[in-house]
Amino acid sequence: MDGHIYGYNLPISEKTKAVPWEEKVRIVEEVKSDFRYKEYIFGCLNCGVCTASCPSNRFFDYSPREIVQRFLEEDVEVLYDMMHEYIWACSQCFTCWIRCPFVNNPGGLVAIMREVAVRNAFEATKDLLKPYGRVLLKVMTTGNQLSADMLQPDFFPDWGPKMADNMENLRAKRLAIPFDVGKSVKTAWEVSLETAVEMYTIWRETGIFEMLEKLDPNLYNVIMDIVEENEERYEELYEEEE
Amino acid sequence: MAKHGFGHNSPGGLLRYPEEPPFPLKEYSAHYDHIFEMMEELEAKGEILIHRITEEHQPVEVFTRTGRIKTIPTNKLWHHKSCGQCGNIPGYPASVFWFMNKFGLDYLNEPHQTSCTAWNYHGSGTSNPVALAAVWLRNMHQAWKTGYYPLIHCGTSFGSYKETREQLIMNKELRDAVKPILKKLGRLTEDGRIVIPQEVVHYSEWVHAMRYKIADLYQKEGKAKGIDVSNVRVAIHNACHTYKMIADDYPYDPEVYNGQRPAASTAVVKALGAQVVDYSTWYDCCGFGFRHILTEREFTRSFAIQRKLKVIAEEVKADLIVTHDTGCTTTFEKNQWIGKAHGMYHPVAVMSDVMFAALACGAHPFKIVQLYWNCSNYEPLLEKMGITNWRELRKEWEDTVKYIADLEKAGKYDELMEFFKEYDLYEPYSRTSTGKPKASATANMPLFKS
Repeated sequence: MDGHIYGYNLPISEKTKAVPWEEKVRIVEEVKSDFRYKEYIFGCLNCGVCTASCPSNRFFDYSPREIVQRFLEEDVEVLYDMMHEYIWACSQCFTCWIRCPFVNNPGGLVAIMREVAVRNAFEATKDLLKPYGRVLLKVMTTGNQLSADMLQPDFFPDWGPKMADNMENLRAKRLAIPFDVGKSVKTAWEVSLETAVEMYTIWRETGIFEMLEKLDPNLYNVIMDIVEENEERYEELYEEEE
Repeated sequence: MAKHGFGHNSPGGLLRYPEEPPFPLKEYSAHYDHIFEMMEELEAKGEILIHRITEEHQPVEVFTRTGRIKTIPTNKLWHHKSCGQCGNIPGYPASVFWFMNKFGLDYLNEPHQTSCTAWNYHGSGTSNPVALAAVWLRNMHQAWKTGYYPLIHCGTSFGSYKETREQLIMNKELRDAVKPILKKLGRLTEDGRIVIPQEVVHYSEWVHAMRYKIADLYQKEGKAKGIDVSNVRVAIHNACHTYKMIADDYPYDPEVYNGQRPAASTAVVKALGAQVVDYSTWYDCCGFGFRHILTEREFTRSFAIQRKLKVIAEEVKADLIVTHDTGCTTTFEKNQWIGKAHGMYHPVAVMSDVMFAALACGAHPFKIVQLYWNCSNYEPLLEKMGITNWRELRKEWEDTVKYIADLEKAGKYDELMEFFKEYDLYEPYSRTSTGKPKASATANMPLFKS
């Protein structure tokens, strides 16, 4: 059957159909076994308030109500299918959460679904996150997610002509901020080496680097070069201090 | 789901309710209150250490959505910076620091802070709750170690940290998973406890708590410069992650829509005497969407233009949209110009509550509020506020930038450092809290050399 008898009217993709049933069950169970799952879903009146106020619903074929309903119905086929592209429409604004009479958190469910999709290296996830590589590189190595030099006019032509002016003499403009914020150009603020090394430890211990390796091996290699270089510098400094 | 009556106080004093509801309540069941009592229990068991707000923090009491009394520290604050603000809207944090200098408050801004990494998580899914909790607790431990109380600049950090706090308090499994990592980092107390702050506090709550002092400063210094905001029409946009994530824990006030809408930002605009104008889509998000602003921009700009900018322009003809989060400010700010292509150009100035307040109190529009970086049409607003000399002020700023650029180009670093000695209002890294050699993870690397 293509789609669902009501609600989820997208046809189930051929890719999803080709996946063994057991694998689809495993993935959905991985989502449900997350400790947050029971805190994010209680029951559903099917009232649709979440979807009515959802920004993504206005512009995409996306409904938070669908997600809650499919989990409650344990509709494995649809849930598995949703985890490829459907869930990436969510804006993570959590309007659904504050509006729901049951205090369900569909946006939170999406966060778990995205995490499971990334951890299992779904092909759609790899494609969807390719343009996000610059942010991943920055956040994994420096702990900053945005910097002044990322706002290049050629990347954001739709943001207007003032963007080009902003990039002129960027470094001097940043140095001219009379407080120690935003002075660096390639990071939002200068991050101390010891802070960055602590963060790398967190990524290692929590499996985030592994997650990234499966998602994008090239990006992973670039990141690890920087991480290892910083860790070596830290070791050297620490030894000098000793 | 706990339900507390008015007049209730928890044994440790973290959870407090006034005797009577401060405004009519729609939400009687407080979904998150129980965590304060559980924090007290965990502290008594020796599992956590609560970083408490004390008299030296000059606390101010506000009400939350359910009428709970939330304590906002106003002094001796550790600045948990926002990557989006520092990277993209530098006038935002600069205005916060400018006010703190004006009020003679004590604060600490150091490089020993990572971002919350929650934008990445919401945008890409490449993290997990243990990592998010470890990052939060690492930053909170650093603040506690310095003796300064954390003030969270970013709306997403604020929302994410509140959610992480609840998950940690409610789930022993999560505490057990994160403790060995923190131990490895040296981020537990000497007796092996994790550090959790009494309240998670957003900068907009600080502005809210300080609104009457800000209004006094406006009367004393802004008005003396000929600045008048009484004719300025302001549309408020509240950020989803400040008031929809862990919704009970954000300020509401009888003076702001009788407690029926988030109070921060609206209250300071009212205290300054500007006109708050209401519009029908006040509840909508901005369209930022985390990944959307980067990779699904047609959604972001369509939503921002059609659901917010067009409505604000047509319904209330606002001079200004006041925000309190990086993502919203960026979304409204940067997605106006493209509307020209579809005959939907609704130019309106956009800035945060603290930037507008700083302008009202006489801060330099470019040196402090950094409006040169804004893409929106801020010039008509400056004229309306009585800052009619903005062209000269802009020239002054541009001359300063050129002076710095020329000195650097000529390799005159000594002269440059001398200039900064006089110019900087907060000397870089003069008050770091570590004895280790100063080293940057970013500045000396070829890839990131700035």
